[in-house]
Amino acid sequence: MAEKTFYREFEVFSKRTPSSAFQHQFSLLAPNKDMAFIMAQENFMRREPVADIWIIDREHIRSMNADEKLTLGRLDNKQYRTTKGYGYLKKKWRHYEQQMLDEKEILSWGGNSK
Amino acid sequence: MSNLAMKSEEEMLEQFIERIEAGDKIEADDWMPEEYRIALIKLISMHGISEIMGALPEKEWVPKAPTLHRKLAIMAKVQDEMGHGQLLLRVAEDLLKPYGKTRSDIMQDLFNGDLKFHNVFHMDTKSWGDAGLIGWLVDGAAIITQTNMLGSSYGPYARALQRICAEEVFHAQHGEAIIMALAEGTEEQRTMVQEAINHWWESLLMFFGPASKETTGSSKQDITIKYKIRKKTNEQLRQDFFTKYIPRILSLGLKLPDPTMHYDEEKQMWIYQQPDWSEFKKIIKNQGPRSQARLNLRRTSYENNAWVRDALAATTN
Repeated sequence: MAEKTFYREFEVFSKRTPSSAFQHQFSLLAPNKDMAFIMAQENFMRREPVADIWIIDREHIRSMNADEKLTLGRLDNKQYRTTKGYGYLKKKWRHYEQQMLDEKEILSWGGNSK
Repeated sequence: MSNLAMKSEEEMLEQFIERIEAGDKIEADDWMPEEYRIALIKLISMHGISEIMGALPEKEWVPKAPTLHRKLAIMAKVQDEMGHGQLLLRVAEDLLKPYGKTRSDIMQDLFNGDLKFHNVFHMDTKSWGDAGLIGWLVDGAAIITQTNMLGSSYGPYARALQRICAEEVFHAQHGEAIIMALAEGTEEQRTMVQEAINHWWESLLMFFGPASKETTGSSKQDITIKYKIRKKTNEQLRQDFFTKYIPRILSLGLKLPDPTMHYDEEKQMWIYQQPDWSEFKKIIKNQGPRSQARLNLRRTSYENNAWVRDALAATTN
């Protein structure tokens, strides 16, 4: 009788450190949220460090069907949205004896954020 | 109306094959041919339940492990195996959804003999040498078969295997540590390792399955290779196992139980004596030395813990 309500599906997300992003781990079966937290640690975090866990009832996730996924493809004509579209500046700056401020350089200005 | 609904079964199959040929990953909700779904269910539910049944012979060694450190380590491994079982059963359950089947059906299939578990977990363990050997060579064999499917066309299985194989590294080293201590120990301890190898040899050969269906009457390897669920054949995996482990066994001064075994340079393969495949068929039909005892243990604990499931199910928030 318990079998009907015992096996609810939860998706588990966790992050390794306070500054890292949540990452999907896997799914698990649990009868309720408290048990889902316990199972999440037992199943997926026996070794790796963990700073936070989310559990989400699968019923609350709206995922894409195969047709919808087809809409995710991108046309390869939007270089102005990426640094790739401005790569020629590197050569230009070199002409003025300056270095280009690229992503690596700019993100380094915050120091070591980890 | 969706575009997919307008496609014929043949077009869907063609598109599916194109996707796996291109290295795309199939997900649980994607359309898949029935043959693919059934092959995955058989493979993954057997794999998942074998992890759980495989924890039983090792769990027997927790109270008998020689030191506290060894007890803790083998307990951690038993816990990992149960965790692997949970991961894999989730993958199988999502595939079983269209048939309205759940985890209780998987457990019932195990109890009534419809769902098989790996041949090695039907065997008995006699000494601490056996416990070490399971970690070293049985897990070694499992690593060979599991890494062979890391690139599986079925995304959820590939992701589960990624996690599992990472932990198997610990298991293999745990087994090596036990074997190394015994192999460098007293004469009695060295004998213990040699006896363990002799005892497990046939089971290890059988672990990879028959070379072809002619040997035992059936084999799923052709279908799983066709759908890119796995890469190599049973025999290729067995040969890989020999190549990786035989030099290690010999380097510790241990002897191969098969005196005729050798590497044929011309054929580029190991020549060895076949195990008794009729015995293999018997074992996987739950007629091995410890099959019934372990199934009974699983059955009893499932029944004895039913009240816990009932109690927990009463709180659904």
